[in-house]
Amino acid sequence: MSINFKHIEDKLKTEAKKLLEQGKVSIVLAYGKGYDDHHPMPYVARNAADVGNIVFNEFCTANLARYLVRYPRGTKIAIAVKAADSRAVIQLIQEDKIKRENLVVLGIPVSGMKNSKTGEIIDSKTTCGLYNPVLYDILLGKEVHGKSVISPYDVLAEYEKMDKDARWDFWKKELDKCIRCYACRKACPMCYCDPCFIDQNKPKWGEKSPESHGNLMYHLTRFHHLAGRCIDCGECSRACPVNIPLYLFHKKVAKECEEMFGQVAGMKIEDKPTLVNFRVEDSDKILE
Amino acid sequence: MEFEPKILGIACNWCTYTGADLAGTTRLSYPQNLRVVRVMCSSRINPSFIFRAFQLGADGVLVGGCHPGDCHYNTGNLYARRRLAVTKKILEFAGIEPERFRVEWISASEGNKFAEVVREFTEQVRNLGPQTKFKIEREPMPEKI
Amino acid sequence: MLKKTAINKISELAVQLMQKGTLIAPVQEAAGFNFREISDAKQVNLNFHNTILSPKAAFFPQMEDFVQYQTGQSIMEAVPVELNVKPTFLFGVRPCDVKSFEIMDIHFSGTGVVDPYWRARREATTIFGYAFDLDEPAQAEEFYQTLGIGAADPDGSDIFMIRKGETLLLKGITPKGEKLLTQLSRLADGSANEEEYFRNYISRGRDFKTRYTCVDDKNIAKKLEDIFDNGDFWMKVSDACLSCGVCTFVCPNCYCFDICDETLFGKGTRRRVWDACMFTDFTLEASGHNPRAQVFQRLRQKIKHKYSYHVRKYGVISCVGCGRCTRHCPVNIDIFSIVEEAMTV
Repeated sequence: MSINFKHIEDKLKTEAKKLLEQGKVSIVLAYGKGYDDHHPMPYVARNAADVGNIVFNEFCTANLARYLVRYPRGTKIAIAVKAADSRAVIQLIQEDKIKRENLVVLGIPVSGMKNSKTGEIIDSKTTCGLYNPVLYDILLGKEVHGKSVISPYDVLAEYEKMDKDARWDFWKKELDKCIRCYACRKACPMCYCDPCFIDQNKPKWGEKSPESHGNLMYHLTRFHHLAGRCIDCGECSRACPVNIPLYLFHKKVAKECEEMFGQVAGMKIEDKPTLVNFRVEDSDKILE
Repeated sequence: MEFEPKILGIACNWCTYTGADLAGTTRLSYPQNLRVVRVMCSSRINPSFIFRAFQLGADGVLVGGCHPGDCHYNTGNLYARRRLAVTKKILEFAGIEPERFRVEWISASEGNKFAEVVREFTEQVRNLGPQTKFKIEREPMPEKI
Repeated sequence: MLKKTAINKISELAVQLMQKGTLIAPVQEAAGFNFREISDAKQVNLNFHNTILSPKAAFFPQMEDFVQYQTGQSIMEAVPVELNVKPTFLFGVRPCDVKSFEIMDIHFSGTGVVDPYWRARREATTIFGYAFDLDEPAQAEEFYQTLGIGAADPDGSDIFMIRKGETLLLKGITPKGEKLLTQLSRLADGSANEEEYFRNYISRGRDFKTRYTCVDDKNIAKKLEDIFDNGDFWMKVSDACLSCGVCTFVCPNCYCFDICDETLFGKGTRRRVWDACMFTDFTLEASGHNPRAQVFQRLRQKIKHKYSYHVRKYGVISCVGCGRCTRHCPVNIDIFSIVEEAMTV
């Protein structure tokens, strides 16, 4: 089934207009024109007149949940979300960064989105592999059915069976490429700490210069901070100018968390994030 | 010269550290490879401590806390259990031997267990050899011109 | 004097250059092309449009050690890191990037304060400019023509290179380049026909259209100054900005850096590393106050620095239109679209 992007765009415009006119929300987080059709940008509509600038096409990949925490608490926001983005919204609600009642979630079921940098279809192995938003108030378009849903963790098999020395060599090579532009953490909807641990001086957790050990400290700690919270949108890897496959590590941690704690990040509003929670009956086996 | 592993121990104030004390007062012997740092609770341990310890040259890291249910702060070690389990998986996926990192619940009365764990862990790390992957190699200062 | 070589014999030229000094040239990597110091002559690859990172790192590396010290010791004991500069050949630089070196010279040696690291490298380096392919349309991100830079502009290069089918034509532009060309025995002499082609190509390059028409830089500078306080405008254009450092790190004209002391076990290195005005802590003061705490303030600073303050102070826009910031922005923000929009406010 192909996705009718024009139809979604029209519905997005209609709904955004309605919400803004009725005063139900003060801003709508959506996508707008970029410098050409292949490069749309996140766009904030603040009044009904802005709505005309909204676009939606197969290049609208950015995870808009990233922008939710930027607005003062209590701001009424409508947000356009795709599958992974809706999970980010749920996770932010779980973490009490935003309130459900202040949100109008406009869900968009999509498949076959394209990376605006390469123009290629985004490999669903690099993302969570879902097509329909998990949480929405208004669904724009039809739910995607009949797609073979692959496990988001399939891609890991190749790396898990690697010898540990080979895996270390792999990560060392990848992380050494890092230029510390911090696009990964800035594109990540769950990275909202201010200040980020790596920007702190006292204590100084890791080196600021782009050397192996500083890079290792930054990335490993970031993987840890996102344990049980990463919703696998793949934005970090797409934002990376030097193509570090960060999603692999995030997936691995998510997989382990799922196996150990039986909970997937960003699926239910009532859940508590796994690492700020515990069960008395957690087994000591997880430490082995 | 035989390889002597450097092991960082992070022990909770109420159980493991007191247990270590007990091991000392009862004159139990255990390897001197362990350097213990006392923290108030195992949940005070930031996973970055462990990454950093390996970077600064530790060959192994041993974390000790109260038995689950016995935490001085009721639930601290239950959070720590989940957190440190993730730390271990991360170390493993990054390619470092997960056997270099160990979490043990040792109560204040278990001086014997403390000595036993340290002995066992030291041997384990000794067999693994020096940890070189995370370790930051620093070049010596250049000669002054 | 025009010289030539076959494109598939580039590695032979590379070998000869490597014998004379360090060769920095475009290399294909997983994410795309980048300038790297060449260890294997076969790596040199001219089939690129432009690199991910700009070639500024050849003169201004991301990390530069100044001094090594030991804590607790007197400052007199600190050992300065020797700057070991060998003759360097920077190969295959696009005309817009060549222009960027000239603008960067203002900051690193033009204002009376000389950065010895930049200058030493600059003096030791011979730049091989490389014209864009005029038969291939300009990429949507590029706007160098707007800023008066031709697609085949030899200004600033020591040697300028143009590709003619499977042949690479090289011409000395400065005496330094001329001299080097005579020493490169691997090169054949170009014919009169090729001389003609070379000249025509350069003039054709001047008319090569990138996506914008020319705008007056003084006007831009003035306009941007006037709308400094227009919060709504700046807020609107920065709505999408993530405030990461990609745009500044890939930019050939961004030169901000941070001096850090990295100390470990009592031994330390004082070094400079690239910093970015887009980072939250870039302007964080010791008191805890941050004059640019919000994203819109930082984006405004970046744009105004390049298009307004820089014009006022040094008479030239601090941008060469290479399009890297736009190309690599995770959310597709386009700096020149913002400038254009500002002109209509």
